[in-house]
Amino acid sequence: MAMRQTPLTCSGHTRPVVDLAFSGITPYGYFLISACKDGKPMLRQGDTGDWIGTFLGHKGAVWGATLNKEATKAATAAADFTAKVWDAVSGDEVLTLAHKHIVKSVNFTQDSSCLLTGGNDKTIRIYDINKPEAEPQEITGHTSAIKKALWCNNDTQILSAADDKTVRLWDRTSTAVVKQLSFDMSVSSMEYIPDGEVLVITYGKTIAFYNALSLDLIKTVDAPASIHSASLHPDKDFFVAGGDDFKLYKYDYSTKEELESYKGHFGPVHCVRFSPDGELYASGSEDGTLRLWQTEVGKTYGLWKCVLPEELVSENSDTIYCTPAAPEIKA
Amino acid sequence: MRTPMSVLRLPRGPDPNSRGFDPNSPRFIALCSTTISSSTDTETDSVQIGEEQCARSMLRESFLRTLIAMTNKQVQFYMYERVKVNAVFGASDIDVLNFQVSDLQTPIGVQKEALLRCQDVILYSFDL
Repeated sequence: MAMRQTPLTCSGHTRPVVDLAFSGITPYGYFLISACKDGKPMLRQGDTGDWIGTFLGHKGAVWGATLNKEATKAATAAADFTAKVWDAVSGDEVLTLAHKHIVKSVNFTQDSSCLLTGGNDKTIRIYDINKPEAEPQEITGHTSAIKKALWCNNDTQILSAADDKTVRLWDRTSTAVVKQLSFDMSVSSMEYIPDGEVLVITYGKTIAFYNALSLDLIKTVDAPASIHSASLHPDKDFFVAGGDDFKLYKYDYSTKEELESYKGHFGPVHCVRFSPDGELYASGSEDGTLRLWQTEVGKTYGLWKCVLPEELVSENSDTIYCTPAAPEIKA
Repeated sequence: MRTPMSVLRLPRGPDPNSRGFDPNSPRFIALCSTTISSSTDTETDSVQIGEEQCARSMLRESFLRTLIAMTNKQVQFYMYERVKVNAVFGASDIDVLNFQVSDLQTPIGVQKEALLRCQDVILYSFDL
C-alpha cells in the first residue's frame, strides 16, 4: 500500500536554519547539529529529531556547524568572527578561535585532532585542537568569501568553495592548489562522500557530481528551481535536493529521474543531508525549522510507524496518529 | 489517495528553562566522567576525583550563596570596553547567562530594569 510522506518537524530555532550536519553512527545512535541565524546551534538525536541541547555562547548568527564522527565534539562558525569547539556531550564550550571576519565553515579531521575553518576573510585555516594557542596553518588563494571548506582524501587534501565561483582542491602539506573548477555562478553548497570519493556541488538549478580526487565531472542533473543544497544517499542510489521553491526533491542517481517532490517547508530550503544510515534525510529552512523525511516512505523507523489499515480504525490507536504532509502544524 | 504515514509522536522540542545536555542521560554518564578532572591526560584515581568533586561542590555553593547575598544590593560591574556600571542586583538565570538588575546607572541615564549578559562581565563587587 503506497504511503504518503509525513515529515517530522523539529521546532526550536527562531530564525532561518542555514546549515546542518550528522555525526557518524555511535553506540548511542547518531546525532544532528543545526546552525541557525539565531546564534544558538542545537544538538538533536538523529533518528527522532528530539532536542538534546543548545550550544550557548555565540554572539551572532551561526553559519556553519559540524560534529565529529563520534559526536563527542561539535564545532560552529559564526558571524561574531569566531569558530567555537564544544563538548557535544556536556554542551560546554571548549575553545574559541578568533578570526578576522565572519566564519562560514568548520570541519573536523577523521581523528578530530584538527579543525578546518573558512569564511569571509578568504583564508582557509587549520587549527590543531590540542594546541589551540599555536598559530593556525593558513591557506590563501581564494579571491572571495569562502562558503565551505572540507577535508578530503583521508585528510591529506582540502576542498573549498567560494563566492569567487571556484571550487579548489588543495594539498594540506604544501598548501598549493592541486586542481580548480570554475563556474559561471557561485556554488551554493558542497558535500563530500569519502566512500567512493564523490563530491556533490550545487549551483543555480544544477546538482553536479564530481570525482573528489580528480575533480572530473561524473554527471549533472537540473532541477525545476534554484537549488541551495543536495545530498547523495550512502548507497548512491538516490540523492535529494532543496532550494528556492521550498520543496524537497528526490532523484534516482543512476537514471537522473525525478522520483518524488515534497512540500512542507514554509520557506526556501537552505541545507539537506542524508543520515549516516541513509534511512532519513534532514532539511533546514528559512522558516526556522528542520524537517526529517523518510527515505523509504512506509517503513517503520525512528518515530515513523507502519500501521496496517485495521490498526488505524482500532480503539487502541491513541498512541498512533496520522499527520498529513501538508498543511503543517505551525512550528 | 495515499494514506499519510503514521507517526508515534512529534520530535521533542527544546526545554525553555535549560540548555539541555541532560546529565542523567546514559551517554552523559558514560562519556562525561572524564570532564570531572581538569587535567585531561593524567590518570586520576577515584580518591582524587572525590576530592576534586568536594572542592567543586564547595566553590559552587559559595558562589550561589554570594548570589543570594547580593540580592537587592548595589553592585559594581566591571565589563569589557572599560565599562563600569552600578546597579541593584535582582537575580541570575539558571545557567548564569544573564543577571537581572534594577536602576542600572549608565553614561546615558538610569535604566530602570535591565539584563546584563554575564559573559560580558569581567568582575563584580558589592559590600556585604
